[in-house]
Amino acid sequence: MLNTALRRHGPFWFSIFAGIAIWEIAGRSASQAFMVPFSTTIAQLWRLILSGEFIRQFLSSAELFLTGFTLALAVGMPLGMLLARARTLRVGLEPYIMILYATPMVALIPFILSMMGFGFAPKVLVVFLFAVFPVLYNTVEGARSIKPEMIEVAHSFRSTEWALWRDVMVPYTLPYTMTGVRQAIGRALVGMIAAEFFLSSTGLGQLIMTASQNFDTAGVFASVFVIALIGVGLMRLGLAIERHFARWRQ
Amino acid sequence: MSVSTIAAAATPSKRPVAGRAPGAFWPRFIVGAVILLSWEFVVRAFAPPYVAKPSTTLMAIPRVFADPAFQTATLSTLTAVAQGLGIALVFGTVIGLLMGRSQAMERGFRHYVNGFFAMPMIVVLPLFSLWFGYSAQTRIATIIFAALFSIIINVADGARSVPREYLEVAKAFRASRISVLFGIVLPASMPYLLAGFRLAAGRALIGAVVAEFFLSIGGLGYYILYNSRSYKHSEAFVGVLLLAAFGVCFELLVVWVTRRFMPWYRREDKSA
Repeated sequence: MLNTALRRHGPFWFSIFAGIAIWEIAGRSASQAFMVPFSTTIAQLWRLILSGEFIRQFLSSAELFLTGFTLALAVGMPLGMLLARARTLRVGLEPYIMILYATPMVALIPFILSMMGFGFAPKVLVVFLFAVFPVLYNTVEGARSIKPEMIEVAHSFRSTEWALWRDVMVPYTLPYTMTGVRQAIGRALVGMIAAEFFLSSTGLGQLIMTASQNFDTAGVFASVFVIALIGVGLMRLGLAIERHFARWRQ
Repeated sequence: MSVSTIAAAATPSKRPVAGRAPGAFWPRFIVGAVILLSWEFVVRAFAPPYVAKPSTTLMAIPRVFADPAFQTATLSTLTAVAQGLGIALVFGTVIGLLMGRSQAMERGFRHYVNGFFAMPMIVVLPLFSLWFGYSAQTRIATIIFAALFSIIINVADGARSVPREYLEVAKAFRASRISVLFGIVLPASMPYLLAGFRLAAGRALIGAVVAEFFLSIGGLGYYILYNSRSYKHSEAFVGVLLLAAFGVCFELLVVWVTRRFMPWYRREDKSA
């Protein structure tokens, strides 16, 4: 029992501990202004959590992330599904969606700043713009993958519009949409931090910025470390969602 | 969860480029016209006059392209992106090949590569600016950071999926490890490398723009920031259009290279 567990998880923990050890040694041998060891980072993080600062900023970030992301889903999914059915509209919109999908959305932040100012809404817009196009792009991709014969068969069996959606359109496009959702989670996180950096400073972005402006290297490391953990957690969540829906896609 | 699941997820490779369907021209033209016209009218009706609209942006294009400041900025950003991508490509390919073919390397680095890949790259900017100063080096470092991990993940995935027969033949002919790695594994994982490169190119562009915003160093991103701050939105928007064009160019380049040099990979696309 113990042996198999060790064999399975041994390399993982070994690599994690080795990484922490390297970090610790590098941090202790470098100047404190450039790099702090792992222990100091954790201690600083603990202080931030105890003071309530971290929780407050985390909740503020989470609110921004969830609002923007939910909006992106609420717009991207129905629109993508609609395009799955309306072929002409899809053909017409496809190149534009592809262009917007490939556009670095960060470049729009200065415009949003000067038109909408520093409130909550412009930041939500940034997260939304980062997240919506992967959902839309992949849903349309899924719509393209539906074989026309499927719809023809459904039609020749006099399937109702509702049944066509339920049995053909949605099951076929959903796995693709979920790929988009996974990409959107990652992008929305980038958008969230970008909005917090370049628009009004709040949340985890503010945590980093304040630390960096005060030359509080330990604070920078602590907040970057936490955001990296959040990134990993969200990516796993995204993969789990995608796999759940993609089980029969192959 | 294994690296390969993440890699597979990070490989949006089976994607024929949108286009070339017969009869697609008119719908596209009409939709494009509707988008541009409604943008124009909405901005004219509701927004202050400095806000970019299609007509003023179009008129700004010749002016902006003739502007030496814009040319320097574009050149500076593109050079940085090309350098960063080049460095990331070399290191990413080597590390990826090693991770794909050596279990020890894979176990040692897997979690770090995945972790750095999942990290929103913007957060490293304060750290990098601490290490490299408010300089062009920080921009290069950010671009490399943004691009490296998607290349590693995809190359490692490709290296892992090399058909075993190839390796057995190489072994039978007593090929050295190096020549197996670069003569067989690398060419066999080319489609994965390209998929990784496509992802990396997009991320590198974002990294460059964000670094310029953050560090206020000259480049296309800073040009956009500066002009939009001084309420020259149309000029700034030309910069955005150019960025979008670069993004699309990278996508098309990868699709073209795949089609031209790896036509067999395309066949799989169709069946998918």
